[in-house]
Amino acid sequence: MLRPRVIVCLDVKDGRVVKGVRFQGLRDVGDPVELAARYEADGADEIVFLDVSASREARGTLLDVVRRTAETLFVPLTVGGGVRSAEDIGPLLRAGADKISVNSAAVRDPELITKGAARFGSQCIVASIDAARNGPGWRCYTHGATRPTELDAVSWAAECRERGAGEILLTSIDRDGARTGYALDLTRAVADAVPVPVIASGGAGGAQHLRDAFVEGHASATLVAGILHDGLTTVRDLKSALGKWGVPVRTDGDTRTREDDLTAANADTGNDQGVIR
Amino acid sequence: MNAALFDYGAGNLHSLGKGLEGAGIAVTVTSDWKVALGLDALVLPGVGAFGAASRALAPARDRVRDALAGGLPCLGICLGMQLLFDGSEESTGAGVGLLEGHVRRVRAKTVPQMGWNDVDVSCDPLFEGVTPLVAYYANSYVCEPVDTTTIIAWSEYEGIRFPAAVRAGHSWGVQFHPEKSSNAGRRVLANWVRLAGGGR
Repeated sequence: MLRPRVIVCLDVKDGRVVKGVRFQGLRDVGDPVELAARYEADGADEIVFLDVSASREARGTLLDVVRRTAETLFVPLTVGGGVRSAEDIGPLLRAGADKISVNSAAVRDPELITKGAARFGSQCIVASIDAARNGPGWRCYTHGATRPTELDAVSWAAECRERGAGEILLTSIDRDGARTGYALDLTRAVADAVPVPVIASGGAGGAQHLRDAFVEGHASATLVAGILHDGLTTVRDLKSALGKWGVPVRTDGDTRTREDDLTAANADTGNDQGVIR
Repeated sequence: MNAALFDYGAGNLHSLGKGLEGAGIAVTVTSDWKVALGLDALVLPGVGAFGAASRALAPARDRVRDALAGGLPCLGICLGMQLLFDGSEESTGAGVGLLEGHVRRVRAKTVPQMGWNDVDVSCDPLFEGVTPLVAYYANSYVCEPVDTTTIIAWSEYEGIRFPAAVRAGHSWGVQFHPEKSSNAGRRVLANWVRLAGGGR
């Protein structure tokens, strides 16, 4: 059985992790290499780095961060932000990224997805779509959600898939940072229409919202950021709650290595969290 | 012990190299079969397309097959596992042909299969200490061995059962990515290193 994924997103600016609300007001929350490793240990199924650096010069810094992260991270790493052409993809993959997400540049030149998928495989091209409610549908935005386009989110997602994107990272601009839950209607509309995995993004405030995105939004994965960086919850606690509600997320108990058993045997037995350590 | 990590020129070999080194084997990344077949073990990584990998394999196909049949320890991951077979629906070009059979596109609604899936493992020593196993997959194709006794683990995706791992002598193939499967995956890599005669 394929497990619903909980993916942790780190916005990276000039080599540091930052977090803002509705794409505005960025503040420093830590070192990307260290945070990525900590989230893996906490049970994150994947890590996403979104580079929000303003300048082209920050590219070298990002490649260095990716390289150092890949040396200690043993879950998939997606890198997005600032990918302008198919030529930008190779260096990121060689630095240690497993998947590359493309957004504004793909809207400007959809061939970017076609070329990227042909050269590196669909499994490493993620189409990132930022969308906001627009009448009965959803309008796509680019450039950090500042520029409206004429594209409808569902039909653009379908085109991305036809061009070879292996996954859709779907962010609701209306919900981003608001912690009122994912945009379930948007998520479901895209997930039902496009036969590639959809990652719901924007709006996570607690485990219930993740459950809703999986069960009602038909998402394959959920992206979580702010509530983790602010210490409001942990990946472990989110997954523990999801597990209790019957959402079959991957937990420590699924793969119990001998090292885990030894750790558990040596651990303080005052843990009352039941099957999930 | 020194393992060759063969580079078809496609993508990320970083985590796999680190995972193998962490298990106690030196890693040499190479695109030269003469170098690769001269080392103690061979790893065929999992990133790229079958056609390109087949072209990279072409000049040395017989030598690679003979080396593996002769006992050179091998680990094929995802595409690397598929490359151990005769050929693939993905594109023309031959695989190593160590295992008889073909690679087929997954007949599921949502392709690629992307994410963590349960692996139903046998008692093969590759899986020692990792049962049950949940591992990371990113694949659109699966292997169909003619000799089903070579299958040492299964997974299921959208109701379709497919080989998660195969073994022929000292060659193992895994459809999932151990280097992306956190602690459990690192344990699988460590088991393979030990089976290949290395490790701590």
